[in-house]
Amino acid sequence: MDPRGFVRRRLVLASPLPLLFAGIGSAYGQPDPAALLAASDAIRNPNRPFVVTVTLTEFQGGTQVESSVLVSYARTLEAGGQFMSLLRFQRPARDAGKVMLKRGADLWFYDPSTKASIRISPQQRLIGQAANGDVVTANYARDYTPTLAATEEVQDGERRKRKAHRLLLTARNDEATYASIELWVDVENQRPLKARYFADSGRLLKTAYYRRFQSQLGAERPTETVIIDGIDPQSVTLLRMSDYAGRDIPLTWFSKDYLPRFQPE
Amino acid sequence: MHHPASAIARTACLCSALACGTAIGATADNDALDLQSAPAESSTTPNAKLVLEGAIGSARQRYNSSTTSLRRLSADLVYSTRIGSQGRFTFSDRIDSLHPATGDSTVNSLRELYAGWQDSSANWVLEAGRINLRQGPALGFNPTDFFRDGALRIATTVNPTLIREYRLGSAMLRAQRLWPEGSLSLAISPKLSDKPSESGWSPDWGATNNRTRALLSVGSQWSSQASSQLHAYADEHGDAQLGASVSMLQGEATVLYAEAAWGRDRRSAARALGASDRTRAARLAAGLTYTTASKLSLTAEFDHNGFAPDRARWDQWAATAPTLLGAYLMAADRQQDPAGRESLLVHAKQSDAFTRNLDLTAMLRMNLRDRSTLTWAELRYRLKSADVSLQWLRYGGKATGEYGVNPQKSAVQLVGTWYL
Repeated sequence: MDPRGFVRRRLVLASPLPLLFAGIGSAYGQPDPAALLAASDAIRNPNRPFVVTVTLTEFQGGTQVESSVLVSYARTLEAGGQFMSLLRFQRPARDAGKVMLKRGADLWFYDPSTKASIRISPQQRLIGQAANGDVVTANYARDYTPTLAATEEVQDGERRKRKAHRLLLTARNDEATYASIELWVDVENQRPLKARYFADSGRLLKTAYYRRFQSQLGAERPTETVIIDGIDPQSVTLLRMSDYAGRDIPLTWFSKDYLPRFQPE
Repeated sequence: MHHPASAIARTACLCSALACGTAIGATADNDALDLQSAPAESSTTPNAKLVLEGAIGSARQRYNSSTTSLRRLSADLVYSTRIGSQGRFTFSDRIDSLHPATGDSTVNSLRELYAGWQDSSANWVLEAGRINLRQGPALGFNPTDFFRDGALRIATTVNPTLIREYRLGSAMLRAQRLWPEGSLSLAISPKLSDKPSESGWSPDWGATNNRTRALLSVGSQWSSQASSQLHAYADEHGDAQLGASVSMLQGEATVLYAEAAWGRDRRSAARALGASDRTRAARLAAGLTYTTASKLSLTAEFDHNGFAPDRARWDQWAATAPTLLGAYLMAADRQQDPAGRESLLVHAKQSDAFTRNLDLTAMLRMNLRDRSTLTWAELRYRLKSADVSLQWLRYGGKATGEYGVNPQKSAVQLVGTWYL
């Protein structure tokens, strides 16, 4: 693979041009939901392999009950656009060094203590905090079919009213983590503002608000996400993203056979 | 930090103004949006992980009415660091101090001590030293885990996950070629000593390196739902086995797995004690793990050990040579093989049971021929940097059964674990 070519192609895709078209809309005057979704994805995910530190703070009834830190290594597969991520836990000490690999529906958990790479089901992954990583770093355009449900006013993560397109995303393959997603995208700049994630049964799994937009790796990106549990709204997780950095991540890192060898600096 | 009192006041005001469900939802969202995140952490990866553990408990004996008090202190250290941009050094060690003990009361397990190198694209990996090379997707029995034989110096748990964690690696030279959809690896493990050491502080090369062995493995990722591994194993005495394992995702909540090894093994526990003339047979494990939305994970697994003695020989031993039966059980345990031909494992874990951070785990092992059972359960509460767990186990079944013969009938212990 030619990394420079890869970067060039991704830069073209993520340039302001498609965002502009997304804002202008289709021939019928309605915005193109696919373009809106791609533009929103490009804001959440840098257009090249990257690493970011995620600090998770969990609250129950307004009281902080736990905090953990993990580092996410992510890149998009050039052929097919599959988004791949490797999450390495740093804190708490109990989980330090554990790794979660996600390649679509191909999910692996590696515990350095037992030297075991264990295939896990999407349901198993949803139990842990790692699933919250999908809310921050995932490529929805590849795995979901978007339709425009409405253009309406919505409250964003900073508690401001914003005019937004409400997209309804329906899973189009087995690699989608959620059956459907409601995603509010800012009319003005295609920023993701809010999302609601649903299971097959229609049950609300979580609500997410994207906020604290800052310039990171060439774009204004959300650096904090507020995740509210769908069943117990008193259970809230805050994800703070820091130390964004572009990085040449070898493809073999996303192989389950590499997990026992994985040791980033 | 959000103040609960202000949340209550805000909730009361809003509910009086907006008497509908969406208002309650909006209030919950607003409360959540008022929360402040913990400060962002630096991305420094710790090189060392130290775990201290203490346990107290008591055990009831089967053949008399006495109880025995149990005590254990353990220290577990893993240190791993990079050497330059492509090198790596790993040291992993565990010390267990047990009461009562059958041999040395303090046993050191030098689990890993190796150096490694990988190229910048992570396509090639070379490693040399004592490495815990573990294979196989099954939970209770891993026929394709060819370096399991003799790897556990001391038994402090029946939890199969922890047994893997506590075991010794084997001294070996290992080369691996990786690509995105798989890998090819060759491990050569030389003979370093004739037999295992009884000394508690010995590195015990004789336990893991008492013969020269080689293992060739090919891993393949067939799709996002299925992957497999093939193995060819041989030792200096002419024993050779082929192995294969597969794991598959079925739907959203189920993982299926199977692994098998077939070939010549003249060192099986049954043959060593004259219980079987079989030199070629198969070992197999197959099972599934199902997870519910309510955080319950259930695993059921069938295990087959074709080298185990048949029913006639087992019954003969039980009737006329119980000492031999006991010796066989210990030998099978040392080789980490099921003692019976067919057995069943059921494992259930409920995360956040009853309350947050409380995990309930239960496991049942059953010898399907004699119906004897090993039942183990654990209630574990996770604190910020420590766990407190209450564990219970029971060996049940008739006195000639695989588990019923165990002199210990049941045990209960309280365990504290500190993560430093």
